[in-house]
Amino acid sequence: MLSKITVSPAPHVSSKLSTRVVMGDVLIGLLPAVIAAGVFFRVRALAVIGVCVVSCVVSEWVCNRIRRRPTSIGDLSAVVTGVILAMSLPPAIPFSIAVIGSVFAIVIAKMAFGGLGSNIFNPAMAARAFLAASFGTLMTTWTVPSTVDALMPTISAANTSATTQATPLAWSKAVQKGQVEAHYINEQTSGAFWGKVGGCLGETSGLAFLIGGAYLLIRRTITWHIPAAVLLSAGVIALTAWLIKPEGFINPLLHLLGGGMLICAFFIATDPVTAPLTTKGMWIFGIGVGSLIMLIRIVGEYPEGVMYAVLIMNSLSPLIDRFCKLTPAGGTPHVK
Amino acid sequence: MATGRGKGTFPGGVHPAEGKAISESRAVEAVPPPKQVAILLSQHLGAPCQPLVAKRDKVQAGQMIGKSESFVSAPVHSPVNGTVKDIALQSHPVIGRVTAILIEADAEGNTPQTPVFNRFDHTFSPEPFAVETICGAVNDGGLVGMGGAGFPTRVKIEPNPAMIKEVLVINGCECEPFITCDYRLMIEGTWQVLAGIRLAAKAAGVEKIRIGIEDNKPLAIGAMTEAAATVKDIDIAVVPVKTKYPQGGERQLIRSVLGKTVPTGQIPPTIGVCVLNIATCAAIADAVVLSRPLTHRVTTVTGHAIAKPGNYYVAMGMSVADLLDHCGGLTAQVAKVLMGGPMMGFAIADLTTPLTKTSGAITVLTQDDVTKAKYEKQQTPCIRCGRCLTACPEGLNPTKIAHAVKFNRMDLAEQYYMSACIECGCCSFVCPANIELTGYIKTGKILVARAKKRMQA
Repeated sequence: MLSKITVSPAPHVSSKLSTRVVMGDVLIGLLPAVIAAGVFFRVRALAVIGVCVVSCVVSEWVCNRIRRRPTSIGDLSAVVTGVILAMSLPPAIPFSIAVIGSVFAIVIAKMAFGGLGSNIFNPAMAARAFLAASFGTLMTTWTVPSTVDALMPTISAANTSATTQATPLAWSKAVQKGQVEAHYINEQTSGAFWGKVGGCLGETSGLAFLIGGAYLLIRRTITWHIPAAVLLSAGVIALTAWLIKPEGFINPLLHLLGGGMLICAFFIATDPVTAPLTTKGMWIFGIGVGSLIMLIRIVGEYPEGVMYAVLIMNSLSPLIDRFCKLTPAGGTPHVK
Repeated sequence: MATGRGKGTFPGGVHPAEGKAISESRAVEAVPPPKQVAILLSQHLGAPCQPLVAKRDKVQAGQMIGKSESFVSAPVHSPVNGTVKDIALQSHPVIGRVTAILIEADAEGNTPQTPVFNRFDHTFSPEPFAVETICGAVNDGGLVGMGGAGFPTRVKIEPNPAMIKEVLVINGCECEPFITCDYRLMIEGTWQVLAGIRLAAKAAGVEKIRIGIEDNKPLAIGAMTEAAATVKDIDIAVVPVKTKYPQGGERQLIRSVLGKTVPTGQIPPTIGVCVLNIATCAAIADAVVLSRPLTHRVTTVTGHAIAKPGNYYVAMGMSVADLLDHCGGLTAQVAKVLMGGPMMGFAIADLTTPLTKTSGAITVLTQDDVTKAKYEKQQTPCIRCGRCLTACPEGLNPTKIAHAVKFNRMDLAEQYYMSACIECGCCSFVCPANIELTGYIKTGKILVARAKKRMQA
């Protein structure tokens, strides 16, 4: 009667979800930020993103070939890495350095660990750390966004170049050292929201990431726990510092909108591969990231701490998972 | 009383396409007696039966042909008049091959057995039946849980001083996609089901009865509510619960209906609850009131590849192939034949596999259905997205367990409570990396069970 019937374990139906859909959603979530970068830094920004994406994808393909594994670029994870890496680079970065970063992200930080799902560190952040260590000056030269008509008079005195500008967080350091008065910097808060401050491609407009983050939450690509934990913990620390000494610290809102805080909360810390699995673990991880960012920003020597905060917490993820085991619905069974 | 009220739902779960439209409006139809039946001697949890007949013996319909002295067991009966042709190994839908009694039906004198829904009405009272009578009839009738696990019903309902039962929860969820046999029973055999429920309640000595039905079955909820309203001597109520898979898992249903949690590794009686499914209740009424043993049941035959889908009253022991032939054969290109529904059903390789007491459905999937499910595609690495954790109705960590099994770390799998898995399939269903988590976990459980057996030996 029948020529062939298949035997396989249950279930025999499934949802339509795939890794490609998940990564595709992340890319859609990043789209507002990509568009914003295009508006602020024109073709240059899109070129940097393009270079990063292409070199990430090519690197992954080459690694697949070397390891004689099936091509994995179809899952779009390399594209996501490329975009996020580009978002963490200054617009004026030389293309050669963007390529070096991308190759490092995929070959060393991802494929050397075993590819998607096996990497310990967020590839984009690992690559950024590598670039920051190797090309310090180039990584901290900030182009003025096209949306800024003229340099703000109050801070132009400190600027020697007309095409580069310090980021709000760099100024925050100056505030802490008493070189600039806080309220001048606080005036940049709305600029950080709309995209009128200097910084990496992804550090300019808070709005773009809020839109993208909302999309990810609505699509349930990410859960709300990590973003909430990062923003709450960072917000509380920034607020405390500000309340204690308003003239010594920039306002907490600028801390949340400025720098890489929002892209970190919604797109980097939420990278499932390098974050804990359980809800409790996500809270610990998120609070860790948020607190470390603020610790580095306020106490540390660097103006921005997203990259190190994420990398440090990435390394703790497996440990957090081990200590945050789930309790079954029926409670922990009695030990025999 | 300690019993709280449930919220009609439980944490986790998934929403597969229901697929019930194929068969839900088709009335239960009796199938002519098959020419040959194979009665498996292990159709339940517990000890297998020993044959009571020998080759070439004549048997009558309803005659007990196999039983076991073990406490957790249930006898089996012949559904037809005929001759024992052989006692031999036969494919079992779940556990490989087991001994079966093959009976060739007599050419004459076998009339199709029909359901007896009209023998029951609102005047039924469990009063004349003593608890011992009920338990005896349930035991001799060979009743087991007909929802899938096949636990002997007598063990469940008979009074047990160690575990006093307070609530009887009736499982009318039928959360498994495609299956509609319990749904038809609730609508067509409402009074028979209710009679069975009241008999079971009397035997178990419970104080109240709750009938949980998913809210996608308003007709069944209506029929059962109306019938339950005629019962005055016990606290009985229909509880509509949220349509969500696996709402019909007994641990999930108890949570939804009573708001109580069955402790991990324990069974419902430890918290004073007894759970019975709809088909089992109908069979209790059959066995106790009409002294008809469990030889027939309603089985849904469904799927896009079947010419005449519907709900059939069939003799157990009939082969899947014979039943499919009766249902007009298979139409489109068939890819999988499932004993059960698409979430928990077993794909069978041998169509001569006989129907058992727990065969609620035969689901026939087309190549198109199979291709739509992602398991055909390449399995990709786990991205630790955590969707399986969210979907798991038992609050487990499926990806950790599955990967522990994959690397043969059963100790680690047990640390993540592998044995608490109910094998519902939600984790596989949601996994974006196409990992058959449930398959790994089931394998792990089997391997652990084998290892334990070896240690005892």
